[in-house]
Parts: sequence; structure tokens; C-alpha cells
Amino acid sequence: MDKYFIQKKDTAKFLDNLSRDYGVYVPYRIKGKEIPCDLNLKLPTDDYLLESWDRIKKEDFTFNEYRAIEPLRTFFAFPKERLRLDEEEKKAAIFGVKNCDLFSLKIQDFVFLDGEARDPFYERRRQNALLISGDCPSFKETCFCRSLDINPYPSEGFDINFSPLDENFLVDTGSQRGEEIIKSSGLFNHATPAQISRRDEKRNSVVKRLTEHLAFHQIPPKDVLQEIVRDGYESDVWREEASSCVECGGCNLSCDTCHCFLLSEDRLKDTNEKIRAWDACLYANFARVAGGANPLKRRYQRLRNRYLKKFDFFPDNIKLNACCGCGRCIDVCPGKIDIRRILRRLNEEKSVSAH
Amino acid sequence: MKKNPYQPIETNLIEVISESPVIKTFVLQPKEGFRFNTGQFIELSLNGTGEAPFTPSSDPNISKEIEVTIMNAGRLTAGLHQLKNGETLGIRGPYGKGYPLNEFKGKNILIVGGGVGLAPLRSLIYSLLADTSSFGKIYLCYGAKTPQDIIYKNQIQKWKRAIDIKISVDRADDDWKGNVGVVTTLLNDFKENLSNFISIVCGPPIMMKFTTYKLIDIGFKPSDIYLSMEKNMSCGLGKCGHCRMGRFYVCKDGPVFTFDKIKDMHDLWD
Repeated sequence: MDKYFIQKKDTAKFLDNLSRDYGVYVPYRIKGKEIPCDLNLKLPTDDYLLESWDRIKKEDFTFNEYRAIEPLRTFFAFPKERLRLDEEEKKAAIFGVKNCDLFSLKIQDFVFLDGEARDPFYERRRQNALLISGDCPSFKETCFCRSLDINPYPSEGFDINFSPLDENFLVDTGSQRGEEIIKSSGLFNHATPAQISRRDEKRNSVVKRLTEHLAFHQIPPKDVLQEIVRDGYESDVWREEASSCVECGGCNLSCDTCHCFLLSEDRLKDTNEKIRAWDACLYANFARVAGGANPLKRRYQRLRNRYLKKFDFFPDNIKLNACCGCGRCIDVCPGKIDIRRILRRLNEEKSVSAH
Repeated sequence: MKKNPYQPIETNLIEVISESPVIKTFVLQPKEGFRFNTGQFIELSLNGTGEAPFTPSSDPNISKEIEVTIMNAGRLTAGLHQLKNGETLGIRGPYGKGYPLNEFKGKNILIVGGGVGLAPLRSLIYSLLADTSSFGKIYLCYGAKTPQDIIYKNQIQKWKRAIDIKISVDRADDDWKGNVGVVTTLLNDFKENLSNFISIVCGPPIMMKFTTYKLIDIGFKPSDIYLSMEKNMSCGLGKCGHCRMGRFYVCKDGPVFTFDKIKDMHDLWD
């Protein structure tokens, strides 16, 4: 795979070309809520939505500094959908995917594509989608990818990757399809060694700043997370942290690696067609069975369950933590429940009890 | 076109058999071929109402008709209990691993059932009785709340020729001459040599819990106790996330587990 360069003014043309074959989605900037940084790093607070290229004014097109509000899985298992295979869908080209999102696709792929039954809805969209990722030239206060050894720039799993270079972009291809699209567009030149080394400097400088920011939060390293959630099963942390939970399910629904869904029936039609909707394990009835038994009756049990799923179940099954450090769950929580704080507290309790 | 794994196949309801005041057996005739292994479960759906997991109670060697024995315990099952012959239902599956009959071969088998938990065990018993020479001696201990709540009364009579059967009720009525007490009391005088024995347990969680401890008490190894776990299995495919139990999904790794695989899990019986 190769490295290219494109002028900013040509990117709109590139997206226009793509929209002939794909439903193109691009980042769209919205005003975010101000979150002060404890280290006074003057971090950006705006947010991004992934909007259809056809629906925004071309001058509003922007390169997102960090992950968008919606998790990437939105494009592969829709928040609510009828499970019918006979409906045609346009292939999606998603611009503005970040490395946290790409990591999370490993989790989603395991859920939907591994095992005895592959999910044909996910599979079709995943195979068709063109992933155009981008480096993060900055980060939000809530970003903590580096704590999980995930970089704020992609190195695999994309078709095409954009690294901002002044106003323009250095472009990597990561798949045959990406390579062909770049070549046939006629809008890209080969990148020069100087451009590549400047890009790499920018990447390193973001990692350095992010590391500095994360040092403040003292998030335990990724290799101890399974141990601390296991050993912390009886910890008071769960009860204390869950006391501000309002059971909105926001942490689940904004999560890049969450995947749980409900199957239900169409109440208005006499058909046995299924409707699938995202579910949230923080909801009271998530694990309830007929007759009323509910192994996750209490809020603290459900909060704990979320962490056990991410840091115990997934490591046991695929040796990956199901958390990408995108921080969406922190942004969205009205109860100010912070995954960084919970992990830090569990880790502190463990080191106290070890002494 | 690829197959949609969430799409049920239509099935006719051809008979409803009342087993107890709150338990009915539904005889289903799927419109497409449908086979299952004993202990595997299906998702049964009622259009517009919902879908839930059940383990068939019929003989897996009979493929034309499937029987599912269901207690009226919730919204969907209440809807099912209203149904009459001739209605159409949806069925998906089968899912999960079921009973490993090969592991049972040559062994004596103690089956312990509680309440409607005898339903999956009936399917197992049919499988065992179809091939008695492969298995050792078969014992059944069954507990129900009251004599009225005992299901499959006619079949139990027939099984007595091949199976050593003991039944207990929690509360007797005036006509009851048998044992009174929870099902574990039937195991108090179980004095067989356990060197070549396995046990299979199915019932409500509290019954499974105390039965398992009782079996350990009388000498069964955890790896010889087969439990049918119940969680909120919804998709049946290990994707929807509802039936996680530790590192397992009950729907695809179970629903039958030997006790040694799950004994260290927190809140196992909740």
C-alpha cells in the first residue's frame, strides 16, 4: 500500500466522485459542551456528527479532530431496523473514522461475523463499506485511547487514511480497494519523504500531549484491567458509582464496542418478521426472565456487569479489552460516571489490599 | 440470497394438552423440516407478542412434530396459553449444545427434575429409552409443588418399567400417599455406588442449587453433574448479549453445563 498527498480544495471533488457509488458520510461540526481540562491544556470542546455528504453545505465540510459523537457501529447494525434481507442498501463510505473506532470493529466483527451464524445484515454492510479514517490532530478531555495502547492515528483496518498536513492531507491506502479508488481519481500525488516525516512528527507530538493529559487520570494499564474488575467484584466502588446512574443507557448506546440488541415483533403487522433494536445492559430488565427472576436486579450489579463484559468476558474469549478509550460514555453520562475514575479506584483498592 | 438467522419458520399448532393448572404442552408441526438434539432449545414466537426460549419436551427422533411444554409465567406464555388448535406460531433454532448423550454411554444415570423442569428431561428420557442398551441403570427423582402440579402422569406410569422413579411433593393433598418434601429429600437414601454415575438436573434455580449441593454431598463429582442453566436467551446465536454467564453465553456454550465449568461463578443461581 502506498502514500499520497491531496490538496484540501480537491477533497470535496474526491467526495463528490465517491458519492456516485457510495452513500458518503462526513464529519459535521457542532458546538459541544465545555469540559474544562484539569491540566489547563486548552483542549477543544466541539463535537462532530457524521452527516450525509448530500445533506450538508460543501463549505461546512470539515476534518474532525477526534472521533464523532456516534459510534461507528451505527453504520453496520442500525439502532433500530427490520430484519429483512431483500431490501437494497447503498454502500456507505465513511469519512472521519478514528483509530478508536477501527479498534472497536474488531469487537463488533467477533460478535457479528464469528461463530456458527454470521449476521448477514452486519456482514453485507461491513463488506460494502469504505472506511476512510483519519489521524487525530487533537483530542477531547475524555479521550483515553493511549491508556489502552491504542494510538490516536490508524495503522490498520482502514481502506484510506487521511493525515492532516497544514491545510492539506497526506493519504495512506490500507486496502486494494482504497488503492484503486485513489489511483483512479486522478486527484492525488505521491507523498514526498519530507511530507511523511512531518506527518510522523505531528503524530508523535499528539501522543506526547495525550500521554501528559492521561497521566493526570492515572488509568491502570490495560493488562491489569481484567484482574482488577475480577478482584473488585465485591468492591463498594460499584454501589457508590452507580448511585448517580439514572439508567438512561447512554453509556451503552454511545459505546463503540457495545453490541447488545433486542429482537422484537412488529406489533402493527401480523408477521413474524423481526425488528432489532440496540439494547443497554444498564436498563433494569436487561437480564430479566419470565416469572420475574433477574440476575441483574440492582443498578450497581448492572454497572459492574458492563465492566465485567468489557474487561473479563472479552479478554477471556478473544484476548481483547472491549474498550477503545473513546470516552463517549463519559461525555454522555448525566450522572458523571467516569470509566477512568472507576478503573483507577478499583486499581487503588487492589494495591491497598495488596499491602 | 443469504439466510436470515433471525427469521422464524411458520409452524402450525395442532394440539394443546393440559398438563397441570398452569402447564400446557403445545404440539407443533413446522412447515419446513426442523430437527433438534435433546437438550437444545428453540425460540418460539407469537406474532405481535414476542419470543422466548424453550427446550422441546418431545422425542428428538420424531421430526414431524415438536412438543413444547410451557408454564404460564409471563406475558408471552400467558398469550400462548390462550391459543387453540390451528393457530400459527414461529419457531427458530435449534440452539445450544444440548445433552451430550455420547458422554452418558455405559453410565448409570440419575435424573433430578423440579416442576416444569421435567419438560426437557422428558425429551432426554425418550432418547435414553430409545437406546436402553447403551446406558446403565436410569433413576428419576421428580419434585412438584402439589400432586396437581405433577406433569406427564401417564408417561411416568409407562416409564416405571424401565426407570426407577421417585416422586415427592412439597405439599400433599388428602389423596397423596407418596413422599412429601422438597426433591432433595428423595436423595437422602440414595445409596448407589457412584463410580460410574452421572446426574442430570433441571428445574427452577433454587431447586438446581440445592440439588447440586446435595449431589456433591452424596458423592457426585462436579464434572458428573449436568445442569440446564436458564438465562434470558434471546437471539440464540451468541450475539444479542443477554444470556452472558461469566465467560460463556448460555445460548451457545450451554444451556447444559457440567457443574465444574461454572461452579466458581458469582451469583450463579440468581
